[in-house]
Amino acid sequence: MTRSSSRRRGAIAILIVLVLIVAAIAAALLGNRDAPPDRPPQKVEATPEQLQLGRYLARAADCAACHQTADGPAYAGGFPLKTPFGTLYGTNITPDPDHGIGRWTADEFYRALTRGKAPHGRNLYPAMPYTAYHDMPRADADLIYAYLMNIRPSAQPNRKPDIPFPFNQRILMSGWNLLFFDRSPLPAASQGESPQWVRGRYLTNVLGHCGECHTPRGSLGQVQRDAWLQGYVLGRFEAPALTPQALAERGWTQEDLQRFMRTGLAPQGIAADEMYPVIVHSTQYLSDDDLKAMSVFLLGDQPPKTVPVPSAKPESGPPSAGRRVYLNTCAACHGIEGEGHPPGMPPLADNSTVRLASPRNLLLSILDGLPAQRLPNGTGIGEMPGFAHRLNDEEIAQLANYIRTAWGGRDGQVAAADVAKLREAK
Amino acid sequence: MTITTSPLSLTINGREVGPIDVPDTLMMVDFLHEYLNLTGSRFGCGIGVCHACTVLLDGPDGAEEIRTCITGAHYFNGKRIRTIEGLAERDGQQKVIAITPIQQAYLDHYSFQCGYCTPGFVIGATALMERLKAHPVRADQLEETITEHLGRHICRCTGYVRYFEAAKAVILATPGLVKEN
Repeated sequence: MTRSSSRRRGAIAILIVLVLIVAAIAAALLGNRDAPPDRPPQKVEATPEQLQLGRYLARAADCAACHQTADGPAYAGGFPLKTPFGTLYGTNITPDPDHGIGRWTADEFYRALTRGKAPHGRNLYPAMPYTAYHDMPRADADLIYAYLMNIRPSAQPNRKPDIPFPFNQRILMSGWNLLFFDRSPLPAASQGESPQWVRGRYLTNVLGHCGECHTPRGSLGQVQRDAWLQGYVLGRFEAPALTPQALAERGWTQEDLQRFMRTGLAPQGIAADEMYPVIVHSTQYLSDDDLKAMSVFLLGDQPPKTVPVPSAKPESGPPSAGRRVYLNTCAACHGIEGEGHPPGMPPLADNSTVRLASPRNLLLSILDGLPAQRLPNGTGIGEMPGFAHRLNDEEIAQLANYIRTAWGGRDGQVAAADVAKLREAK
Repeated sequence: MTITTSPLSLTINGREVGPIDVPDTLMMVDFLHEYLNLTGSRFGCGIGVCHACTVLLDGPDGAEEIRTCITGAHYFNGKRIRTIEGLAERDGQQKVIAITPIQQAYLDHYSFQCGYCTPGFVIGATALMERLKAHPVRADQLEETITEHLGRHICRCTGYVRYFEAAKAVILATPGLVKEN
């Protein structure tokens, strides 16, 4: 063999490799285009019982949380999901053939749900919780598919994600999946083996995808399995820790967790911010058995004893600075002794948010206020006004310290600078 | 539990009040009613929704509406407020000699029936007019501004439209509150 022919062969080999790389990139980019599959709209036959089961599972999986807006058509998408990488919009999952999933097969739906791959092999962003749904049995995915394929179609177009380069390159998600898409079952923060606990694990980890908000994330958005349900700040408010110990330290029992998930209201407080739509779209519809199962999974087969709030020494004489702010701005609704006027105005005494280690959610409620909310059981919560313009950082810090010490069993450790930081972050 | 009191001083309708010993837990509307016999600010819902109890809190940036049913009396220590009783012009004997244009407009437009919410609507429109004096809006934004501002006030006789029309008429008739489009 001459030297020149071996050089030529080397060149050809390099050329072939280059062509293959280009072809692979082209295929990946092409596959990642947003186009409905090239086939007629699918007709899915299902019995009324199957449709009912499918609807139940779609609710348990809280598809509506992201796939519809507050005033938009059911499952037509559009809900903005703010992430550190940009804003994504929930897609249309009605059976509309062009804007929804009307041309998808059950296989494609199952792959999207459990592998994060839409038709053409298009990568979904992991904001779609396939990292949680991956343990869903095929039968359940098929029931959800059958239900969605039989709801009213909506021709609402999908909105492109507002994500800057390079994260707008969906092909990168293949790398993300390689690094972070762990297909082993999601962990548990509690101990248990009863059938209820096992069912609760499926409802909480897989369908409810509770870990998506309540578990800390790494710098590339990956859920930290070794800190399962230990709480995280994904948006403005903190999604509190849901480990058995953390729940017991905030006074949660199985019965109260069930009541909370059913109605959004419990003696420990109300569902606010992003937990409110979870109650409205999802958990209020679950059966008593399933809500019980979720509470058993969260607290474990042997739930820890709830920790009572150590009673603070009542003040004598003129009010302290913090109590003065409380009496002047909070007591009309939350009661002179923090007893509240349930159901419209929750008690602050023994309140789960007041008892949290981090004062973040308490401070945000004071600064921003909370909107009025209708609750599933026919009651509602009054609007909580924000006090950002009325109270200065020092006053809010004094107030938060008073509330936490008097009713939360926490030391006064909030500084005016903590308040300022949250005020600026808005 | 014993009720503790603290001395309270403030300026109401230009008059200095106090120091008076007032319970630390007393709400402002109760202080106005029970200690000063200023009963014009109405106690409605008691939870800060209906706005019948609003008064004007005068600060360095102008007046803002504040709800007295959910704000403690001691919040106002050292502050200046105006209540519904303090808006009309009075003579030396404290007799009313002229009501304000917004009060007159509500009468002219038959804005209210039972009248329970009216003090709040007067305070609300007064605050709005003072704000517009400092920051006028475009004429085509006026209705929206009125709705946003007075829309917080609840009228159980549902007289809203006439309240809003009266406010619009007074604002348009008062020079300097509205910019040309």
